[in-house]
Amino acid sequence: MLIYEVKNMGETVINTKSLLKKYGGRAAVDHLNLKIDKGEIYGFLGPNGAGKTTTIRMLLGLITPTSGSIEVFGQDLRKNKLQILRRVGSLVESPSYYGHLTATENLEAIRRIIDAPKSRIAEVLKVVSLTGEEKRPVKGFSLGMKQRLGIAAALLGEPELLILDEPTNGLDPSGIQEIRSLIKRLPEEQGITVLVSSHLLSEIEQMAGTVGIIRQGQMVYQDTIANLQLQASGEMRLAISEPEAAMFLAKRRGYEGTLQEGRLILSRMNDARVALLVKELVENGHAVYRVEERRQSLEDFFLQVVEGGAS
Amino acid sequence: MMLRALSADWLKIRGKGLWFLVFLGPLGIVAMQGLNFGLRFDYLTKEYSDDLWGGLLDNIANYVPVALYLGGTLLCSMIANVEHQTSAWKQLLALPVSRTAVFMAKLLLCLLLVAVSCLLLSAGSVILGLILGFKMDLIPWGDILRIGFMSYLATLPVLILQLWLSLSFRNQTLPVSIGLTLSMGSLFATFLTEFMPLTWPYLAWNAPNPIWFSGAGLLLGMLLIVPSAVHFARKDVA
Repeated sequence: MLIYEVKNMGETVINTKSLLKKYGGRAAVDHLNLKIDKGEIYGFLGPNGAGKTTTIRMLLGLITPTSGSIEVFGQDLRKNKLQILRRVGSLVESPSYYGHLTATENLEAIRRIIDAPKSRIAEVLKVVSLTGEEKRPVKGFSLGMKQRLGIAAALLGEPELLILDEPTNGLDPSGIQEIRSLIKRLPEEQGITVLVSSHLLSEIEQMAGTVGIIRQGQMVYQDTIANLQLQASGEMRLAISEPEAAMFLAKRRGYEGTLQEGRLILSRMNDARVALLVKELVENGHAVYRVEERRQSLEDFFLQVVEGGAS
Repeated sequence: MMLRALSADWLKIRGKGLWFLVFLGPLGIVAMQGLNFGLRFDYLTKEYSDDLWGGLLDNIANYVPVALYLGGTLLCSMIANVEHQTSAWKQLLALPVSRTAVFMAKLLLCLLLVAVSCLLLSAGSVILGLILGFKMDLIPWGDILRIGFMSYLATLPVLILQLWLSLSFRNQTLPVSIGLTLSMGSLFATFLTEFMPLTWPYLAWNAPNPIWFSGAGLLLGMLLIVPSAVHFARKDVA
């Protein structure tokens, strides 16, 4: 298993060290090291039950870690929980709301606790485009509207860090689109750092700059989206005469690959290297029948990482 | 911080039926005694001829402990349910507010609502007495105030226990069952030893030294706040 270190680009907002949470002997989060820099959108990926929500709950002080440390804004969460939470907005899993109250009243109930200015309520309602719906009881809202109200609540205290756990779960495509563009806007417009979790890579791919993939409570991959895309790029398959000899030749020239069903499978090939290899093979008397590229989708790569043994 | 949480709670219980319950309890008792005295007016007024107000209050007081326990149980459960229902705890407790403040705000809310009920009971008792034609200048103001509040103080241990249970369990079946059982148990207070806190609300009206039982309730209640609040502050929020 490989753990990719992310280059330190600036101030670190979230830093967990060896974070562990055990439930009855089973580790839901297993020695997790999470590092998120200021101003980035960090995609926290993993299948259901991998420990994303447990991690996020620990980051918010909702549950206590069995061991390990959490630093947010460079402060220890255990010692300075309230100072930290004052700068954090969160949306955890299914939307939390008071169904019998209107959208405005829901936000007012939170505003009274965090002591934000009253004008802020109209502002955040506008950000999540719920203006015009604020006088209706929330129990009549669609799931997407409830989720947007949850994001509005998270934004109420003008947070520097936004933690969103599966914000698009259960939404229809247009709802997903709307929330995605909203999340992408935040760091650009307001310099907010965002941690967003999901079990869908395709979703994170379109928002995040950095991804962390968690499996069975452990971080199995952490790198920028660009590098992830590079990792997942395709492989070249060559159908060829005398494949063993050809493989031997290729290996001697420094190509990486394997032999499968009489075909050479070579990874990390650019055009120049493909051309060079084909030329050499032909010069050595091999007949090249086919050169085909097989692109591995990010989704495939994700599954590969998640199901164990990243390449 | 606690007052801010309380003002938020005040808003959240709007339209949740809590106020209805606050009014229903005392008005129910008063209405029941209205019926009792209305139907047997001649018999009862002869029975209590030397102290009409005292007789009325004694009759009302019989139902105060069970009403306090029942009403308290339901209020605690309803207050907790506002947060349980749509799992709002995770949102509330991720706000920059200490868990102790949240707990104390809920407790204070519950205590305030019950206090309103007790005041309504006192007011209702006076009104009923006047309707029955008892003399205005004979109104025993001290007893009128004591009728709800002495027993109220004595119910504090159970009230705090109920709030703690209701806040701790998402499923309200267990807390409400326990509360109902205790309420029923309080009906048999005369058969129980006075060391059982369950009997205190009854004794806080009927014992020779009622102040002892109100005081004991207040003291034990205060002591119970500590473990409940500590547990609430430390527990994991699902």
